[in-house]
Amino acid sequence: MSSLDELSAAEIAVGVREGAFSAEEVARAALDAIDQREGEVAAFLQVSNELALNVARATDAARLRGEELGPLAGVPCGFKDNMQLLGTRTTCASRMLENYESNFTATCVGRMLAAGVTPVGKTNMDEFAFGSSTESSAFHRSNNPWDTTRVPGGSSGGSAAAVAAGEATLCLGSDTGGSIRQPASFCGVVGMKPSYGVVSRCGVVAFGSSLDQVGPFGRSVGDVALAMDALVSGGADPFDASSQACEAGFLSALEAPVEGRRVGVVPQLMEMEGLSDEVKDGIRLAERVLEDQGAQLVEVELPHIASAIAAYYVIAPCEAFSNLARFDGVRYGYQEPGCATLDEQTARSRAHGFGEEAKRRQLLGAYLLSSGSYDKYYYPAQQVRTLITQDYLRAWGSCDVILMPCVPRCAFKFGEMSDPTQMYASDMFTISNNIAGNCGISVPLGLGPDSCMPLSAQLQGPAFKDQSLLSFARALERGLDLGRGLGAGAPVAPGFAKRGGEL
Amino acid sequence: MSLSKEDVAGIADYARIALSDDELEQMLGYLNGAVELLEPIRHFDLGGVEPTFHPIGDLSNVMREDRAGAYGRGLSLGEALKNAGSARERYFRVPSILGEGGDR
Repeated sequence: MSSLDELSAAEIAVGVREGAFSAEEVARAALDAIDQREGEVAAFLQVSNELALNVARATDAARLRGEELGPLAGVPCGFKDNMQLLGTRTTCASRMLENYESNFTATCVGRMLAAGVTPVGKTNMDEFAFGSSTESSAFHRSNNPWDTTRVPGGSSGGSAAAVAAGEATLCLGSDTGGSIRQPASFCGVVGMKPSYGVVSRCGVVAFGSSLDQVGPFGRSVGDVALAMDALVSGGADPFDASSQACEAGFLSALEAPVEGRRVGVVPQLMEMEGLSDEVKDGIRLAERVLEDQGAQLVEVELPHIASAIAAYYVIAPCEAFSNLARFDGVRYGYQEPGCATLDEQTARSRAHGFGEEAKRRQLLGAYLLSSGSYDKYYYPAQQVRTLITQDYLRAWGSCDVILMPCVPRCAFKFGEMSDPTQMYASDMFTISNNIAGNCGISVPLGLGPDSCMPLSAQLQGPAFKDQSLLSFARALERGLDLGRGLGAGAPVAPGFAKRGGEL
Repeated sequence: MSLSKEDVAGIADYARIALSDDELEQMLGYLNGAVELLEPIRHFDLGGVEPTFHPIGDLSNVMREDRAGAYGRGLSLGEALKNAGSARERYFRVPSILGEGGDR
């Protein structure tokens, strides 16, 4: 007997394939772990018990028929609640969509299901993904499994917390300005934002259409590689015009040596105001680990990166305002009763369906797109986007990946960051990656000596060099013992490990 | 130049979000703070810099055959209406579009 949360995705899939345990047994163990732990973590908005058991039984039946099982057969997986999955609600953690029943299954979710995962539920998030702490969820907060008085990060905070607490082996999240990497960093798990276009956005409720990208969370780089292989299998998605055909092979490229390859470091970023000492020390540790494996450190410059925050908070609210205009209370979403006219119904449905931050972002977008502001802010922001993209292109001339902090400090306490614009500024290390469409990943480094909370390093790579990025992430993981042995990935948060979930 | 409460009321109207007086006041503080954060964008020398509206260039529209239910993605009537706040027979139901009155 072992606890499900000690197994990797690959170990679960092999166990199911070889009959060491059934997918249904795994599903029951996962649901039991959720049952035992969820009271303190609150990572899920909906636990899909019945769906999980039905899918797991179908996996077992396929095995009995002699069919070949997928590479993620039986692996418990959660999905951020902005992803459509038939048989579940898709609420985006908003009153606006509180009762919205999924009409179809998002491509990314469907590809994970095709690879064999067991869907255990829909995870909490900041409302419509607007936030960095999951505090703007209309339904409840989620707690950081390493210290439940702290936020799990956001906006994909529920996904990160579920993986860190061992409630799921994998989760999907979405990242518009850091919403996968930042919560992964706060919760001590691996979180990857693929290059823009690698994963289909079809069926994922849109926030910033030129920035949004779906990616996986796992407790090891290997698990994330397996999920990436599933997400890109099947090629470009005809239902997302920006989706590109990308080759699978993440798992096989994982152990590619980094010897002789170049890691860019940006001295200017290490001097950023607000960067904590323990994070700085963590990045130096990551440098040594990669150097010890023969990687070569080179200094690179990203002169316009400081302007990324301003560019992002022009582009993202404008795109959000345009995307959220569809919520008019007619075809779906909250509808205010008793209105005399359609105009009144629309304005009141939106006023009462959206929470504070969702209203803020839309008003900011509405202002920035109004005549006069467009030329002052919107157009220049898109020009700055060009400058940031060019900075990166120059940097890629001398390095294969860039190593930098993911967040300035460890997870903060609830209520500590009350000013929304202060929260925006904390995205400074993650945002430029979305603006340029590059790939990025947060890799856990263990606990900080001052905070005793998880710290991470971020690696960023050129657009569509996602496999190369993952091999650097694996090299970093290979050189670290996070409590499970050298190179074995991150542990479940100690307060939750082995609570329920016996297999 | 900071925004006035009247400006914010106009923006809320444009965004079709009915805000209370208190909310307008809060939004005023927020918007002025947020716009200040964006100020750096106006101080770059951007002469001759082309904008990048999207990280992937060369995208083109995807055209499909104009046929109901093509590609297996059509919703049945029941599915299409199931999330509507108000429906009648085959239709979404809305209040009067032109002024008050009519069938409510």
